[in-house]
Amino acid sequence: MISVTRAPSYLTVQDLGREHSRAFGVPRAGAMDRFALQALNTIVGNATDAAVLEWALGGGTLKLETDCVFALGGARARAALSGDDVPPFTTIYASAGDELTIEQLTAGRFLYIALAGGIDVPVILGSRATYLPGRFGGYAGRLIARGDSIQTGDRPTMIPARGFVCPAELLPNYGSSVVRVTRGTHADMFSDAAWRAFTGAEFIVSQAADRTGYKLQGNVLPHSMGSLPSDVGCQGAIQVPGEGTPIVLMADAPTVGGYPKIAVVAEADLPILSQRSPGEVVRFELITIEQSQRALRRRASDLNTIRSAGAASA
Amino acid sequence: MEAPRTEPLGDSAVTIMFGTERSPELLKRVHSAAASLLAASIADVKDVVPAYLSVAVFYDSLQKSYGEIAPTLLAIARRTALPAARMQASRAHDIPVVYDGPDLDLVASALGLTTEEVVARHLAGHYSVDLIGFVPGFAYLSGLDPALHLPRRTQPRPRVPAGSVAIAGAQTGVYPLDTPGGWHIIGRTDAVMFDPVRDPPALLRAGDTARFALTR
Repeated sequence: MISVTRAPSYLTVQDLGREHSRAFGVPRAGAMDRFALQALNTIVGNATDAAVLEWALGGGTLKLETDCVFALGGARARAALSGDDVPPFTTIYASAGDELTIEQLTAGRFLYIALAGGIDVPVILGSRATYLPGRFGGYAGRLIARGDSIQTGDRPTMIPARGFVCPAELLPNYGSSVVRVTRGTHADMFSDAAWRAFTGAEFIVSQAADRTGYKLQGNVLPHSMGSLPSDVGCQGAIQVPGEGTPIVLMADAPTVGGYPKIAVVAEADLPILSQRSPGEVVRFELITIEQSQRALRRRASDLNTIRSAGAASA
Repeated sequence: MEAPRTEPLGDSAVTIMFGTERSPELLKRVHSAAASLLAASIADVKDVVPAYLSVAVFYDSLQKSYGEIAPTLLAIARRTALPAARMQASRAHDIPVVYDGPDLDLVASALGLTTEEVVARHLAGHYSVDLIGFVPGFAYLSGLDPALHLPRRTQPRPRVPAGSVAIAGAQTGVYPLDTPGGWHIIGRTDAVMFDPVRDPPALLRAGDTARFALTR
């Protein structure tokens, strides 16, 4: 069990989200950085889709009431376990009474903390993910706050050894500003000039960037479509409202929307974009769906490599 | 009638497009194709989501590539997206309403009707669920009496209470959750439009029909 003695402004339970309820208007939700979630679960011996803590907006302290194994990563942060530095993507064995303190995040937006056994909250519509706009899922459908107690599930049978580190070359290149995209549902309806404006220049993540969507600043992508009959979106879809400012749909975006979609971010690169903070730049590079799906399979194979290395260390 | 075609929607979804212009006939094709795609229980398909002109199918792209799954989906869509195809699992709902919404008087005067006439015309409608979206369980209902068509509020409300029955443009609907909203609130219902721990969680599904009835 974990007690929250000091909470950041944003702390929720997330997993890979709800995949079977979009027809009811339920967004997938789930982790903003799905690779970090899966890699950290692997590092503590969990199934890749176990529930973890998603942490943003400030520092905090967790008191570990029982012996436990955890790993953290995603955003970079100054973290200490009862005074000792905690390196990212590393298997940490903690003892009952230890305190995990995280100071402000130094790079990236979302930090993940995976605990061996996973976070134990009720499964709702097939997932433990928190969907704050609907006030369900995760920890009673709300942010975790000071004084809350967090339960973990049964420890997995195989846990990597103390100090196991995920090889850095298997992680997404979080420092890169290049984000690959495939053509969106309405790609043909944008002019060549709009496409040049989209792929030929950098965009800046604006202050209006949260779990619902990241609004970008930069070139405007003019079009004369106005709004269209609503169609289905997904995390990473880049929609362009009439004034031409692109918005990347994120985990909590509504299932349907009426703005034309010029492109969709490759899932392999979605973690890089999700971890971009307001003021940071991104540049979009168009690839084919075959290339994009190959990149995603490469990430899956990297996760398998991490799991094998972890098992070998145990 | 256009032949359906597919486009990738990112790495893990396919959009099957049935046409470019909204119409009741096209929507019927969309809903019947969605029902058939769901009933087909295709391996590695996770979610089937109808919209106005298209159906999106979410799938496990680690198991199947776009090139592998798209022809299977397209074949089912071609076979079943016929205007005469039966509407599977279409259900009729009666939604009890108390017409005491904060916008009722304003709506009546904007439309040049009495509040009684607004209520009577709203009650007389036979509605179809065109689309679910915006928030979980929010149903866009078509079939609103043209005499009740009114642009949405210029100032959206920051919070519309769950259960509010509202109209905007050619549509009516019920807010399932407390959310911001720009529709005109004419009444309220105690029907639970969305409950995440109920199966199914949403009261209404795309393709269903609904009527409103006075709460007794």
